[in-house]
Amino acid sequence: MYIQFLLVTIMPAIPESPRPVLLEQLLRRDDLWRGHSRRFTAQPSVDTGHASLNGELLHKGWPLGALVEICQRGFQGEWQLFMPALLALHPGLIVLLNPPAEPFSQALLQAGMDLDRLVVINAPDKTRFLACFTELARTSGCGAILGWQPRDHFTYTEVRKCLLAASEGAGLPILFRPSAVQQQSSPAPLRLFSQVVPDGLEVTVFKQKGVLQRYQPRPLVLPLPPAWQGAPPYHVLDRQPHPDQKRGGVPGTDIVDIRESS
Amino acid sequence: MNARRDRLWLALRFRDLPLSALDAAESPEEPLVVAEKRKVVFSNPRARAGGVVDGMDLTTAQLVSGCRALARNAAREEEALHRLRDALYRFTPHIDIYRSRRAPHAGLLLEISTCLRLFSGVKNLGDTLLAFLEPRGHDLRWGLAHSSTGAWLLSFARHEITGEETRRLFTDRLDRLPVQVLYDYPGAVEALVKMGFATLGDVARQIRSRSMDSLTRRLGKEFTGMIADIYDIESDFTQPSLFARPVTTYVPDQPFCESIEFDYPVSEVEHLRPAIESLLQSLAEFLQRRQLACQHIQWRLAGIHDRREALDIHSDTPQSDWRLLFDLTLIQFDHTPLSFEVDCLTLACGDRMPRRDSSLDLDFEGKRRRGGCPRELAVTLARLKARVGDAAIYKISYRDSPLPELSHTILALAEKCAQQLPHSHRHGLRPAWLFAEPQPIEKRGRRLYWQGYLTPAVGPERVAGHWWRESVARDYYLARRQDNVAVWIYRDLYSRAWYVHGVFS
Repeated sequence: MYIQFLLVTIMPAIPESPRPVLLEQLLRRDDLWRGHSRRFTAQPSVDTGHASLNGELLHKGWPLGALVEICQRGFQGEWQLFMPALLALHPGLIVLLNPPAEPFSQALLQAGMDLDRLVVINAPDKTRFLACFTELARTSGCGAILGWQPRDHFTYTEVRKCLLAASEGAGLPILFRPSAVQQQSSPAPLRLFSQVVPDGLEVTVFKQKGVLQRYQPRPLVLPLPPAWQGAPPYHVLDRQPHPDQKRGGVPGTDIVDIRESS
Repeated sequence: MNARRDRLWLALRFRDLPLSALDAAESPEEPLVVAEKRKVVFSNPRARAGGVVDGMDLTTAQLVSGCRALARNAAREEEALHRLRDALYRFTPHIDIYRSRRAPHAGLLLEISTCLRLFSGVKNLGDTLLAFLEPRGHDLRWGLAHSSTGAWLLSFARHEITGEETRRLFTDRLDRLPVQVLYDYPGAVEALVKMGFATLGDVARQIRSRSMDSLTRRLGKEFTGMIADIYDIESDFTQPSLFARPVTTYVPDQPFCESIEFDYPVSEVEHLRPAIESLLQSLAEFLQRRQLACQHIQWRLAGIHDRREALDIHSDTPQSDWRLLFDLTLIQFDHTPLSFEVDCLTLACGDRMPRRDSSLDLDFEGKRRRGGCPRELAVTLARLKARVGDAAIYKISYRDSPLPELSHTILALAEKCAQQLPHSHRHGLRPAWLFAEPQPIEKRGRRLYWQGYLTPAVGPERVAGHWWRESVARDYYLARRQDNVAVWIYRDLYSRAWYVHGVFS
C-alpha cells in the first residue's frame, strides 16, 4: 500500500495499473480453460425428482445436452426413474424411439403427462435408429429422447455419434442398453445401471464424467409407488415375522395358490 | 332507398338434370328413365311418348315403354349444379342453388338487378345468358320475378323475357299459378284446395285482406312465410329493409396452379430449388391474401418427351407460410430423385382451409422460447417420416372403452389426443407399458410363470363389458415376478387362462 502510494505520488505520469480482476469474473468467461474437471462448469440440468439421485449427480440433476446411458435388463422402472424429469421438461416433445412395448395412455395420463407431447417412433434397424436418434437429439424442439437400442450391437463409434448429436442439442437424450454392455467402454458422459429390487428401484451411477471414481459405486435405492407393494397373501402372513420385528422381503413365490375358483 | 324492392331474380330450372348429370350415352330413339327408389324421377321424350310419367313405378314404366333405367346420382347432380354456377358467375356474382324438397327439381337463382346496366337491360341479359347455355343442351325453363321463390314458381309457366316486366306484371303472373305449384307443401296444398283456394292469387288476396295471421294459424308459419317471400310481402316492421335477407354473393373456388417452364431441361434437384422457392412464395402470397392455409400441395413435373410425374407433399399442420413447405419438398425430392429431365414445374394446391389464428397466452417465463422452433421440429419429423415411413411415427391417445387394449389408440401427429380419463380409470393401477397382444402365462404346477415365477400381489380389479361385440370378463392383478418386476396380469373368467397385459415400470 505504501509502495503503491509512493509510485502514484512520485511517478504521476505512469498510467494506472489495471484494476484487480476477481476470480469470479474470470470464471464467467467462456474461453477460460478450467482443466478436466467439470465440477465447476455450469451445465444445464433438470431435476430428477429424486433427492438422493440429485445428490449423486454432478449437476444436481439429469444433464441436458449430454448423453445418458442406462444399462438394464428388460423393463426396470424406467418410467419411475425419468417421469419427474419428463414432466419438468415442459414444453418440448418427448420422443420414444423403439420402445419395448406400447406406452399405455391411461398410466401416462394418471402420471400427469400431456399426451400431445409424446411421440413414438419405430425404427426398423440400427442405421435408421441412429439416424433418428441423432436428428432428434440435434433438434431444439425435442425435450427428451428415450431410445431403446435395437437388437444389433452398438459400436463405440456409434454411441459416440449419439453423444456428439446430443451435445449439439439442449434436450435430455437417454439411451437404454442391455445390462451386458455395462462392462464395455462407452463415451457416454453419464452411465447408470438400474434394476428393480424388493425395496425399490436400485440405481448405480458407475460412470460420471468430471467425477473421480475412487471407490466402488454405491447403489441408490429409489422408492417405488407404495400401491405396487400390495399385501402378502393370508397364508403367508402366518409365516412372516411380527411387524415389530424387522420386515422380511417379499413373501415366497412358491406357495401361491392359483387353484381354480368355481 | 329500399334495396329489396329493386331486386330482380332469374330462375333457371334444369328439367333434365337427373339424366344430364349422369353423362350416360343417350340416343333420341331410345326410351330412357332415371329412377330413385324404384320410382321414375325423369323420363326422356321417347319414354314419355311411350306412356311413362314422373313418379311412376319403375317396373310399370319398363313394361309400358320398354325403357332403359338409370339410377339417380344426387352427388353428380350437385356437382353439375356447381359447374353451372361456376359458368354463370360471368353474368352475376349473386347465385343460389335451389333444390326442391320433394320433387327432383333443381336449378339456379340469379339476382340480376346489379348487372342490368352491364348487359344493357334484362332482355339482352336474358338472351345472352340463354344463348350461353344453349350449347350445353339442357332442357331449360326460366322464370323472372321480383322474388327468388316467385321466379322459381314462374319457371313452371312459360313467359318470354321482353324487358317490359314490372313488379305488377310479376304479381299478376304469380296470381294465375295454381296452388298445386307449391308441391313442396302437399299438406298445405290439400288444405288450400279444401278451403276453396285454386290459385296463388286467391291466397295472396286472403293475406292482403285479412292479414297473414289467419293463414299462419291454419297452415303454419313456414308456409305463410314462403307465400310472403313469393309476393315479397313485408311484415309490419318500421324499417323492413333492416330485416331483409341479404343476397348471397357467390365466390367461386379458385385453385392455385402455377407453372415455371425452364429454358433448358433440368436434371438436378439442386437446379429446381429457385423455381420451387418462387412457386411456394407465390402460393404463400395467394393463401395469405385469402386468409387460407393448406396441408397438401402437389408438384407436377413434365419432361420434354411428354413424361409426367407428381409428387405430393403433406404437412401435419395447416401452413400459410412457404418455408416449411419448401423444406418438406426438398426432403421429398432428396428421397425421390428426378427420373427424367424436367422441362416444366407446376405447383398445384387444391385442398385449402380457412386459416385459424389461435390466440396464445402471454409467455412470461419464456416457456415457448425454450420449446424450440416448431418449424425445425416439423422439418425433423418430416425427414424422419421420409426415412422410416408415416406409419412408424405416431402419438398415443385415450379412447373411452372398458377394455384396456381398446381404450388405447394411436393417432397421426396432426391429430389431437383425448386426455380426459373417466373416474373409473383415474385411480386404478395401470402399467406404463401395455402389450398389444396379451402374453399367455404358463402354469407350472400351482405357480404362474412368465419369464420368471409370478406372485399376484394387488387385486383383483374386475374388468367386464363389451358384450355388444364379444363379452369380456377379466380379473386384473399386479403381480411380482421373481426378479421383482411388477407386471399386470389377468385371468380370463371365461377361458380361465392367465395372461400378462403390461409391465409396471
